[in-house]
Amino acid sequence: MKPTYFINFMMGMYIFIFFAYLFGPLIIMSITAFNSAEFPSISPWECFSFRWFNEGKIAYDGQHLAGLLSDWRLHDGIISSLIIGAGVVSLSVPIGMAAAIVLTQVRSQLRDIYYSISIMPVLFPGVIIGISTVVLWDRIAGLGGDGFISDVGRNGIFLTILAQTCFISTYCFLIFVARLQRFDQTQEEAALDLGATQTQVFFKILVPYLMPAIASAAVISFLFSFENYNTTVFSILSDQTLTTVIASKVRLGISPALSALALTIIALTVIAAVTYEILRRRSEKKYAQSQEIFVKEKAASGRINKEYKAGFRVPKGIVAILLILVFATYGATQIVKNDLYGQSCIDAADQQKKSKFLEQLQTLESNELTEEELSGGSLGGTEDYGDIFGDPSLFQDFGGFD
Amino acid sequence: MSADVELNNVSVTFGSFYAAKSVNVKINGGEFFSFLGPSGCGKTTLLRAISGFQDPSEGSVLIDKKDMSGIGPNKRPTSLIFQNLALFPLMSVSENIAFSLEVRGVSKGDRQKRADELLELIALEGQGEKKVHQLSGGQKQRVAIARALAVEPKVLLLDEPLSALDLKLRQRMRTELREIQKRVNITFIYITHDQGEALTMSDRIAVMNEGEIEQIGPCDAVYNNPLTPFVATFVGENNPLFGKVKEINQNKIKIETPDGDFLSTMNENKKLNIGDEAIAFVRPESLFIPRDGDSFDNLIDVNIESFEFEGNIKNFYATLKSGTKIKFSIPNAIDTSSISSGTKLQLGFESIKSSILPKAQLAID
Repeated sequence: MKPTYFINFMMGMYIFIFFAYLFGPLIIMSITAFNSAEFPSISPWECFSFRWFNEGKIAYDGQHLAGLLSDWRLHDGIISSLIIGAGVVSLSVPIGMAAAIVLTQVRSQLRDIYYSISIMPVLFPGVIIGISTVVLWDRIAGLGGDGFISDVGRNGIFLTILAQTCFISTYCFLIFVARLQRFDQTQEEAALDLGATQTQVFFKILVPYLMPAIASAAVISFLFSFENYNTTVFSILSDQTLTTVIASKVRLGISPALSALALTIIALTVIAAVTYEILRRRSEKKYAQSQEIFVKEKAASGRINKEYKAGFRVPKGIVAILLILVFATYGATQIVKNDLYGQSCIDAADQQKKSKFLEQLQTLESNELTEEELSGGSLGGTEDYGDIFGDPSLFQDFGGFD
Repeated sequence: MSADVELNNVSVTFGSFYAAKSVNVKINGGEFFSFLGPSGCGKTTLLRAISGFQDPSEGSVLIDKKDMSGIGPNKRPTSLIFQNLALFPLMSVSENIAFSLEVRGVSKGDRQKRADELLELIALEGQGEKKVHQLSGGQKQRVAIARALAVEPKVLLLDEPLSALDLKLRQRMRTELREIQKRVNITFIYITHDQGEALTMSDRIAVMNEGEIEQIGPCDAVYNNPLTPFVATFVGENNPLFGKVKEINQNKIKIETPDGDFLSTMNENKKLNIGDEAIAFVRPESLFIPRDGDSFDNLIDVNIESFEFEGNIKNFYATLKSGTKIKFSIPNAIDTSSISSGTKLQLGFESIKSSILPKAQLAID
């Protein structure tokens, strides 16, 4: 084996381990969403089912385990999270942008101080931001009597939007600062010189230039808001967001419905990322083509060699795709071979569990003590327990505590 | 329409630093006027004072006889072409050109019409839909000019707009700029550190050094009759010969140097007296190798050190008796194959082609 092969092999192994570490938990969790068992697990495998995406299950003992579609608390949480996310985006992006623009106007040492103060909120623990927001607005609500201010000051969604904006606007600020650093200020001067007012310069030159930053700041602040827990758990008061609902579920015992939710979120993220990537590549290709046309127009014909046409090339990710396919096929054949899917399997599993439950119930019943046994007889009763250690005089010699 | 531009005693200070000091210039309407000077001499600061980006610390800027103090750059009848052009990369060529009309609320149809007109002026018809990044350097240059001309400014200010182009393109753009200026007939104020650009395009030049104007005048006057040693050495090349004034005969002065006495011409504005320390300047192209029958006012013995071939001319570097280095150029049409390093020669120059000035700072120092 040549040393380069060895290095490549080690590199491949490293990448495999790294990705396994990164995505392993997510893959396992996703698989548990399709197991019909009440507790998220891969083994023992009960049945392949979509029940956790749908209505969930009413257990043999009457307990209702909600699925993704029937869990109203989860739905309420998602709606609040979306409202809060929208609110945070519409506040954080303008605040972050304004702060970044101010930074470009400030000169000298003041600039460093301003920058430090601006990024401070990300350094604060989220818990503190949450609590302090609640404390402050409780005071404000207390001032206004029973009116509008009181309602607003004790509205969990409103407080959460404010609390999250505190630190999320800082991330927006950093995004805008990075983009503004590459801004050519002579463009502003050129626009001014051509007769534009300051407002026109802002909307016609600066905002179009900042558009990519605005988009990424919006996406990032929405994601930060959506997944935030430690600030939200305090500021949300009596309402619930998706994260607080999930957290309370974890405390009461998790169900595969959460796996189903996780898988849905992962799927949506992947679809969004892939769509973005496709669009990006398409526009990049368009740009490259326009450049190519430009070069061809400019260059003498002798400069352009020959039409370069790429043949079919095996994509580099083929190994990973094959690996996933192999595992998926293996899993699917195992499920089909052992008849671990469909309604019949679920019914059988339920039946089995129910009979097991009944069996246990019967055992309990047969072991149940009669009234007579409890009130007296060989066990219990009001007998003297003085000889419990087998020596009736044990405590007599002790002499007491007095 | 063109307008006069007048700088009255304009000074611009940054803290204790004078970027421009008591500048007085009157630029006539329709003139092609250049500010020429080395980097950091304050010429860009003056341009910014005219365009309104920089308020003068003292003095006033008058455009069309109106005082411009307190009037912002967007309200002045000037257009500025930036050194980096500052084209808007997110807009098409037409949008760039019509930007100044757009911000004034001109309708889309009229904007398009004007943009097409200007595209024709700069010979880029039918390329309005392109993005800026699809243009070559010279095309970008022309778009920047068209954009500045769209609102029909009275004064066009140009801040070294050709410095990023390669030599051939720069030479072509010089002619084009001059042609455009004649066609639109407005005042052009041009900033450059390249004396070639200034000399070829301008009607008049102001040579600047350390925030002050050293000389204002038509190109040939500045080149032939420099007022200061700085101008003499900054505009074109010049060989300085240091010495003392020995004799004065009207405007002919004899200067005594370690390499002999030379006869030179005095500038009427720079009077000298006998015994004054002075510098006689003679340009490389004014030094000749005498042929039979030639007679010169001055003769000078040199020892050739090295030479370089530039194409149309051949440059020779030589030392005088005292060790002073001088440069002279001979047109390529003249056979100079017999001259090589170590050759001893006698050169001649006419007193009319040499100017003598009181001793002061040179540009080459």
